[in-house]
Amino acid sequence: MYSYIVRRLAFGAITVVGVSIVVFFVLRVLPGDPLVAIFGPEGFTKLSPEQRASYMAQLGLSDPLIVQYLRWVRDILSGSLGHSFFRSESVAEMIARRGPLTAEIAALSVVLSWLVGIPVAIVSALKPNSIGDNVSRFLSILFLAIPGFWLAMLIVLVLLFGLGYRAPLANVAFFTDPLANLQIVVGPAIVLGLGQAAYIARMARSSLLEVVREDYVRTARAKGLNNRLVIAFHALPNALLPVITLSGILLGFVLAGSIPVERAFGTPGLGYAMYTAVSERDIFVMQNLVFLYSIVFVLLNITVDLASAWLDPRIRYR
Amino acid sequence: MSVTQPDTTLPLESIAVAQPSWLRRALRGLRTFVRRSPMSAFWACVAAAIIFMAIAAPALAPFDPVRADFRHMTKPPSELHWFGTDQIGRDTLSRVIYGSRASLTVAAGAVLLGTTLGAIWGLACGYFGGRFDIFSQRIIEFLQSFPDLILAMAIAMALGAGMGTVIVAIAITRIPFGGRVIRAVVLSLKELSYVEAARGLGASHMRMMARHILPQCIAPYLILATTHLGVAIIIEAALGFLGVGIPPPTPTWGNMLADSLNAGLVPPWWLVLFPGVAITLTVLAFNLLGDGIRDALDPRLRGAV
Repeated sequence: MYSYIVRRLAFGAITVVGVSIVVFFVLRVLPGDPLVAIFGPEGFTKLSPEQRASYMAQLGLSDPLIVQYLRWVRDILSGSLGHSFFRSESVAEMIARRGPLTAEIAALSVVLSWLVGIPVAIVSALKPNSIGDNVSRFLSILFLAIPGFWLAMLIVLVLLFGLGYRAPLANVAFFTDPLANLQIVVGPAIVLGLGQAAYIARMARSSLLEVVREDYVRTARAKGLNNRLVIAFHALPNALLPVITLSGILLGFVLAGSIPVERAFGTPGLGYAMYTAVSERDIFVMQNLVFLYSIVFVLLNITVDLASAWLDPRIRYR
Repeated sequence: MSVTQPDTTLPLESIAVAQPSWLRRALRGLRTFVRRSPMSAFWACVAAAIIFMAIAAPALAPFDPVRADFRHMTKPPSELHWFGTDQIGRDTLSRVIYGSRASLTVAAGAVLLGTTLGAIWGLACGYFGGRFDIFSQRIIEFLQSFPDLILAMAIAMALGAGMGTVIVAIAITRIPFGGRVIRAVVLSLKELSYVEAARGLGASHMRMMARHILPQCIAPYLILATTHLGVAIIIEAALGFLGVGIPPPTPTWGNMLADSLNAGLVPPWWLVLFPGVAITLTVLAFNLLGDGIRDALDPRLRGAV
């Protein structure tokens, strides 16, 4: 087990270093001068070549790429992460301010996806091909097809016209004003949660249907146990393993999905910051955020692998 | 150019006899498909209708999708403009119809490029194995360490705006899926006795792959491709929505949704509703068609793809 963990972590570390290199160089080949992004096309043409050179030097963009990369690595290790083109706060401060909101959204959406997905899957698997099963299967396929950000826009519109309600736009920490904070978080969490619930319901259904055919389930039934108890205590725990794996992987995709969803809701989280950075072509913020998302994604995958190895000893020996 | 027309010299009967061998098989396959899963057949019709809409867009659209009309700005649906107009008076119905072109072109291009590259890569990995396989698996795992939307965003930004770059960006995110699935299929095929027999008879690598392995990969490839069409459409819409997709004058569903947010404090409902319904219907049609093809061709792949 320990060698498995060490191997997995070592590979994760190599991946993270590789990700940082790829992210850095992909964003450096961006077409267009970063100064155009900062001063605008008109302001850019008014700058003299000397001014341009001095601004580039100030931003550290005129050094060789290797030097720039090493400087970024130093920034990452020191924890400051550099500055945005446009805002005075450092990227680290921005992440500290906005990150908790997105983390909250992600966590809440996972909880919601389980609360919705698992019961739906149980109802489906108890009576396969019944009306209830077909309806829930169609609903899960439907929610796979609905883009989250569009659902978000619809929710905003319906709340606005139906109830005259608009969620607050200012960032509030949970501990200062829980109610306002929840109002911001609930919308994106529901949208992202429903998207995941569709995957979870599908996976849990097929996994349950497979487990129900196993011998030990038949034995449990044969000894006269109530069907519901068999499902709850014998079938479900074993059927949940692939669902846990899936849920972890989905959580990574939720982080990406939160970018357009936060844009649609106007949620002041990390996803919105990513959107702003993209539309402003702010490469310093982008490289840090893409890197952060990738690290979280890699860590999640490692956690999922380790969790499933811990829950199911058969996996370790593969 | 000396024109010899062997076809016209043939009697008609011989053509009629020559065709059925494959045509009848295809028709019979289609009939079985419709009978076995009528729902999938229905969604296949919807998908076909959407493809037709994209091809025949100029004939179907009542207005020019990019022409502004300042007498009808931000008007709700009416008899003249069935789906209303946007803030500079462009007809939403025409834009939704033309939007299918961008969506389907990008999705088809990305899947053809990405899934095919991935499938060929997976075929080579599974067939040759060894160090090449291990190395390739690491690269694929690496590609998978980015969430696909973020990878597509970064690549689309790096390559600059345009339809080609969006296709490439989405295609790169599709490569790992094709690679993994086809590799797994090839690995299981390699152990089968008919493949071993062919190897024993001294078939070359190319012949082995082309004649014995490749035909077995077509079913999983088709299923994979249809399923990923839906994913590609959603990613394309999200890229357009975030402003890194196909640049604005071109009507795409994602761009239309992004435009509606810029229309004012409150986006008009018709600008939000119709493009989104178009995305959902298209993705739904391709996903269900993919499920149907999977169940018809190879039910064992349920859950694997």
